[in-house]
Amino acid sequence: MRMLPPMLLLLATGLEALPRLVTLPGSSPLVSFRLVFLTGAASDPAGKEGLAALTAAMLAQGGTRRLSYQEILEALFPMAVSISAQVDKEMTSFAATTHRDNLEEFYRIFRAMLLEPGWRPEDLTRLRDDAVNFLRVSLRGNNDEELAKEVLYNEIYAGHPYGHHNLGKVSALEKLTLEDLRDFYARRFTQANLVIGLAGGYPEGFPERVRRDFARLPAGRSESLKLPEPSRPGGLRVTLIEKETRSVAFSIGFPIPVRRGHPDYPALLVAQSYFGQHRMSGGRLYERMRQLRGLNYGDYAYIEYFPRGMFQFEPDPNLGRRRQIFQIWIRPVEPDKAHFSLRLALYELDRLVRLGLTQEEFERTRLFLTKYVNLLTRTKSAELGYAMDSLYYGIPDYNSYVKGALARLTREQVNEAIRKHLRAADLYIVAVAKDCGELRRRLLAGEPSPISYNAPRPPEVLEEDKIVERFKLDLKPENVRVVPVGQIFE
Amino acid sequence: MRLLLAAWLCAMATCSAGERKIFPYPWDQQDFPNGLRLITIPTDYPNVVALYIVVAAGSRNEVEPGKSGFAHLFEHMMFRGTRQFPPARYEAVLKAAGAASNAYTTDDHTAYHTTFSKEDLETILAMEADRFQRLEYSAEDFRTEALAVLGEYNKNSANPVSKLYEVLRDTAFDRHPYKHTTMGFLKDIQDMPNQYEYSLQFFRRYYRPEYTTIILAGDLAPAQVRELVAKHWGAWERGDYRARIPTEAPPAGPRANHVNWPSPTLPWVVAAFRGPAYSDAETDQVALDLIAQLGFSESSQLYRKLVIREQKADLLEAENPDRVDPYLFTVWARVKKEADLDYVRDEILTTLESFRARPVEAERLERAKRHLRYRFALSLRDSEAVAATVARYVALRRTPETINRVYELYEKLTPADIQAAARRYFVEPGRTIVTLAGGKSQ
Repeated sequence: MRMLPPMLLLLATGLEALPRLVTLPGSSPLVSFRLVFLTGAASDPAGKEGLAALTAAMLAQGGTRRLSYQEILEALFPMAVSISAQVDKEMTSFAATTHRDNLEEFYRIFRAMLLEPGWRPEDLTRLRDDAVNFLRVSLRGNNDEELAKEVLYNEIYAGHPYGHHNLGKVSALEKLTLEDLRDFYARRFTQANLVIGLAGGYPEGFPERVRRDFARLPAGRSESLKLPEPSRPGGLRVTLIEKETRSVAFSIGFPIPVRRGHPDYPALLVAQSYFGQHRMSGGRLYERMRQLRGLNYGDYAYIEYFPRGMFQFEPDPNLGRRRQIFQIWIRPVEPDKAHFSLRLALYELDRLVRLGLTQEEFERTRLFLTKYVNLLTRTKSAELGYAMDSLYYGIPDYNSYVKGALARLTREQVNEAIRKHLRAADLYIVAVAKDCGELRRRLLAGEPSPISYNAPRPPEVLEEDKIVERFKLDLKPENVRVVPVGQIFE
Repeated sequence: MRLLLAAWLCAMATCSAGERKIFPYPWDQQDFPNGLRLITIPTDYPNVVALYIVVAAGSRNEVEPGKSGFAHLFEHMMFRGTRQFPPARYEAVLKAAGAASNAYTTDDHTAYHTTFSKEDLETILAMEADRFQRLEYSAEDFRTEALAVLGEYNKNSANPVSKLYEVLRDTAFDRHPYKHTTMGFLKDIQDMPNQYEYSLQFFRRYYRPEYTTIILAGDLAPAQVRELVAKHWGAWERGDYRARIPTEAPPAGPRANHVNWPSPTLPWVVAAFRGPAYSDAETDQVALDLIAQLGFSESSQLYRKLVIREQKADLLEAENPDRVDPYLFTVWARVKKEADLDYVRDEILTTLESFRARPVEAERLERAKRHLRYRFALSLRDSEAVAATVARYVALRRTPETINRVYELYEKLTPADIQAAARRYFVEPGRTIVTLAGGKSQ
């Protein structure tokens, strides 16, 4: 199936009036807002990477025409509401939940923040610093795992509108001006790009009022972004990030043409869950790497972008993308076991591609997902976010979509989708490590990488180790790069 | 169901003489003869049930030298299976229930939590009862799991905040186990594979009904839950171990320490003061909670100054966690330039001093109280969140009623109470300051 551009899908749903509205009324005393603009980092012009994110930050963490940011914080404080802005490639969302008691007071401020931004230079200075420090310090300095994942995306999408971090590049952020931001806001924060989501115990007529208020935005036109399908590397492509660190963090992946609504999405969802359900024990990788061998804290697999996975168990909604990757996350391993761990992960991926799932594994994983999907939408705010994403992908509500498709799915379809979309020797590998020169040498030399244990292991594990320690990684010197961490995101 | 529940809520409200309690759900509390306590909280979120099993043993119970980090290691071992449910079968049951399951360890307690569909209630309760009573693992499994714990230390070690916590506690405490973090000292973690026997002893001591509280929140009928828990957990044998937790000597500071971080990062300054233990009867701890809000939240004067106006720090916050024993009131600041570390530290200390010097304005205090009330209401966004919140408090006083009591204390708090607490705790002997600065760019 060819994916329609998202805007066409949205228009096809019959929500003609602009801006579009998604509502989930309920009896809770809480009211959740999600305002999603169908624009994001993929719309950053070349040389202005970070424009979408900084613009969103100016709205969510800057003053309005009338109120300074400090005055906003003071006003919001007694209500205990915080407004979160999330910028992804194709979506920029603003989310908040307030108690019904404070709805009017909160909404007045929230509306002004999005419709009447103050564009103060001092806010720009602070938020630019925040963005640069996020890239340089929080990510590059203090979070090797997320760093490896984000660099993986940058490698896969090099030269593509997805090819830079959502927060931008340091060199570009440093040059962005208020005029750039105002211009981006005027062109992209339009009614055509906006979907308003409301859930919970709001009063009657409230959603229409919000819609009328946001009809003050320029009408605009939907984005017409060209997003080519990225090509595969045609072998193994390795990026080693040199950094002073205790252990080695890996992220491995390659593009897949599958996203929600694609005929193979349910099949790959099962494959991914079987291979490495996020932060859960019992996935194949977790079992072989952590449970059996004690190599690290956990090992997981993904078919959708899932940032901040080390801090949360469920993904955030409103990260809709037309392009996705298959990704493996190997949590940090001891340096002397890095080579073996990489081999084991790829050995397992190879095994998955060759053997697929047994009927029992298929049934078990399907049953799990059929129930687990309820947990993803257990808060009103998450349910709302998923509903808005379903609109974007042109599918029914996510729970019915997944459950319905799983009910019809067969083991053969899963294994067919695995063979069609997954590969173990045609992918990108990113590692954050110390002494990358030595790691590179070992990878290229291809020598066996045996490991030792602190306790006896079952003979079948030791047998398998003998295969794994020699598992061939077909690497060419020109495809194994060492990059000093200081160059990343610059 | 919803209507019924609404009626019940009204009835509860009438029972409590029209008082508005902060915790909005009625609950059913049951003590079993073996010492186990069950708290059932029906909510109006449909289909889903959240289970928290709270064991009142955390890193605070690690009293023997060389054994830091054991409560947390034990949390890992609890996933290593029993005869009836070896790990693969345990996993299979969780999978079949579509359950999200995990665990965490804190200073004072360890919690095992699972969220699942209501039809699987008995299956999950039975399986959990089995592992709490009949956990069995080999020395080999133990040694392997000890490596996973080292892996966890490794993944944490990329973040300077982990290191700051380690150094802060090690500097601020001498005798009390709060001296180490929940992860434990690195040397103890590295020695864990050799401590199989001790791990068995840890289980025998603390994984006992009198240390354990089961919390269930969600689409539930209390009578049915009581019956199921009695059936599966009733035969669990009571223990008799009481840990003797060393008391920390009175503060004899001030103390200071510094961390040289090997790679580039922004500098930090952390200013801590020895504080009180959790209490739902005395005002000191709740008074310090309010100071954390008034002095250091996003709406505070100091945040306005350091973060928004001068832009010398990009992060400022105070934490005053509830602990069984006296712990620390701590202010954290991440500073943009190393040269400003002293300045930011002094600004923090001056702010704390101001709470000693004069009472806060009544109007500001009311706004902060309102913030805490709404923050609490907003946090109860689903059954999982309800159970998680109750678990935190249950670890301290073993009943959700403590939540109501502590929020009543907040309401009654006066500017004079706040000043009195500041005078008692923001004193030089109780102070520990830790700074951290990073290496040069690569």
